Amino acid sequence: MFSLLYRMVRDRALAEDLAQETFIKVLNGIKSYRPEFKFSSWIFKIANNAAIDHLRRKSIDTLSLDGAPSAETPEQMRATSLQLGDRTESPLDEVQNRELGTAIERAIARLRPEYRSCILLRHVEGYSYEEIADTLELPLGTVKTYIHRARNELRGYLEDRRD
Amino acid sequence: MTDISMHLNTDEIELWAQGLLPAARAMHLADCSLCRVEADRERKVILELVQLPKFAPSAGFADRVMAQVKIPTPSGDWTA
Repeated sequence: MFSLLYRMVRDRALAEDLAQETFIKVLNGIKSYRPEFKFSSWIFKIANNAAIDHLRRKSIDTLSLDGAPSAETPEQMRATSLQLGDRTESPLDEVQNRELGTAIERAIARLRPEYRSCILLRHVEGYSYEEIADTLELPLGTVKTYIHRARNELRGYLEDRRD
Repeated sequence: MTDISMHLNTDEIELWAQGLLPAARAMHLADCSLCRVEADRERKVILELVQLPKFAPSAGFADRVMAQVKIPTPSGDWTA
């Protein structure tokens, strides 16, 4: 669950805050848990909602090391990219850059949050399409569409980098 | 029943990447260069995703959470 949150918000300290918020909601609200629902799915649902709410509030999903998602030319990407060299890196920043700095992690960061949740639950957490639909309360067809689109986008980002 | 000459759809490519594609459809893949190229590209992404590391929160995380959880007392009150 922490991995999902960390990859959603790409900030270790913030992911810990959201994980803490999730567990407190789970433990304090345990009476509202419905046994017909898988317990881990319930936790993921609360965690995912916390991450999506945060991203919507802060709109940090539009931030990317490679520039804004709308940037199409190299010039636009340079103009909208984050300049990491402009400031001194803290030890935490260094850890995060090392952990989330690979091409695949950066490509995941460029996905829409809804696509990101689905692809991470499917291929990192190993959930079935049906479990993802239950967890995220989405129609099964939507989950399939999101995952296929996410994989296509990831392929595009990764192949662009290799060219 | 699926026509053996039909190209693989995305669900079938995912099954193939997991080693779960039925033999009849695998025969199509063996004969179809278009599907092989598509399937190889898809498999590379899936492999990268499934190999991603799991991360753990910092030490003391569980203690910080439990310190904020309300525990019911015998009298029915809730304490932090």
